[in-house]
Amino acid sequence: MILDLHTHSVRSDDGRAKVENYCQWIRKKELPLDGFVLTEHRQFDDTSDYRELEDRYGLVILKASEVETDYGHVLVFGVNDDLRAAFDFARIDNSLPVVLESARRCGAVAAPCHPGRVNVGLFAHYEQKGPVEGVEMVEVCNGGSRSGEDELSAREAEHFGYKGFGGSDSHIVSRVGNCATQFDRDIHSIDDLVAALRDGHFEARTWRTPRAT
Amino acid sequence: MANAESNVDNNVEGQNVEGQNADGQNAEGPSAEGPSAEGPVDIDAVKRDWVGHKFDSTQFRVHGDRMLAWAEACGETDPRFTDADHPDFQAHPTYTAQFGAKQLFPKGFPKLGRGGFDAGKAVEVHQPVHAGETLTGESEIHDIYTKTGRSGTMIFIVHRMTFSNEAGEPVSTVDWRIMRSAKD
Repeated sequence: MILDLHTHSVRSDDGRAKVENYCQWIRKKELPLDGFVLTEHRQFDDTSDYRELEDRYGLVILKASEVETDYGHVLVFGVNDDLRAAFDFARIDNSLPVVLESARRCGAVAAPCHPGRVNVGLFAHYEQKGPVEGVEMVEVCNGGSRSGEDELSAREAEHFGYKGFGGSDSHIVSRVGNCATQFDRDIHSIDDLVAALRDGHFEARTWRTPRAT
Repeated sequence: MANAESNVDNNVEGQNVEGQNADGQNAEGPSAEGPSAEGPVDIDAVKRDWVGHKFDSTQFRVHGDRMLAWAEACGETDPRFTDADHPDFQAHPTYTAQFGAKQLFPKGFPKLGRGGFDAGKAVEVHQPVHAGETLTGESEIHDIYTKTGRSGTMIFIVHRMTFSNEAGEPVSTVDWRIMRSAKD
């Protein structure tokens, strides 16, 4: 099963894609995706209900978050009330160790995204501050990466022994699915996704054309 | 919607019927911010102090020829927006995005960050706008937030204009994002 683990809808301040338009695009272009995860910036969308779209388009649509930390941006899968109480999703200066530990304690998974990116990527901060305990996986294929960023991510992930996953980081419909993650099992809920990520049986996939720097 | 992201200084139509803003002050233009903050700015405090603050009320006449020009600039082809003789002739849904308040920020608003640019507008349409109407645009600071990116920390200020017609009915809400760099 293939899921795009990193997408943004109009609920993000810089997102220009409606969720139904993602569904239409995936089906129209016959993309090899079974679904996608909405990772809205600095928030968790607890109001939208996409079950009708899931049924109509035969896609899995899950909700997560992209939060900001002192070591860059981090995707959080399995957001619940306990985790939302643990730190402020809206802040840009959350402590990565706190986010990682809170996610573990609350039954979620926190995973740095675009780690090879300057300023907002994990490895840029490692150069200055050293590694952080508790990181288990990072996004090694990101659809918004510039030339060299994903290569750095993959290289450093291997060095530190982190599992790699993929996500498009799409903000417009035509970018969805250019990077994704393949799992060895079916995933129908956010609990399924969290369990699959913890088990580590997945791999990053990419279909994107590299961008110029 | 290219024109909707025009220069922040440019009040495109800007017909100021009243000649004064809601505070009874003469228009001061977009540079009416307060002095630059010294040292790090406490965004949370600024947000507490200013979000929800209403500071400007400007009136705009809606002209049929401007409606046509706007629709054409948007690449619109629906005759409701491009044909003045159409029985349901009305302004393009993004029409009010061209209107700017007399003040971009309230008087005394702290200068956050430096540089920056127009980060775009989002328009929510409530009902059609027609030629000959006079709209009132009420301004408020709707949100202030920060985010990080490749270039560093950015501060976003959301200037919301709520437009209503002469009957006081809301016709559209335009959220105008202005980005400032938090770099020293």
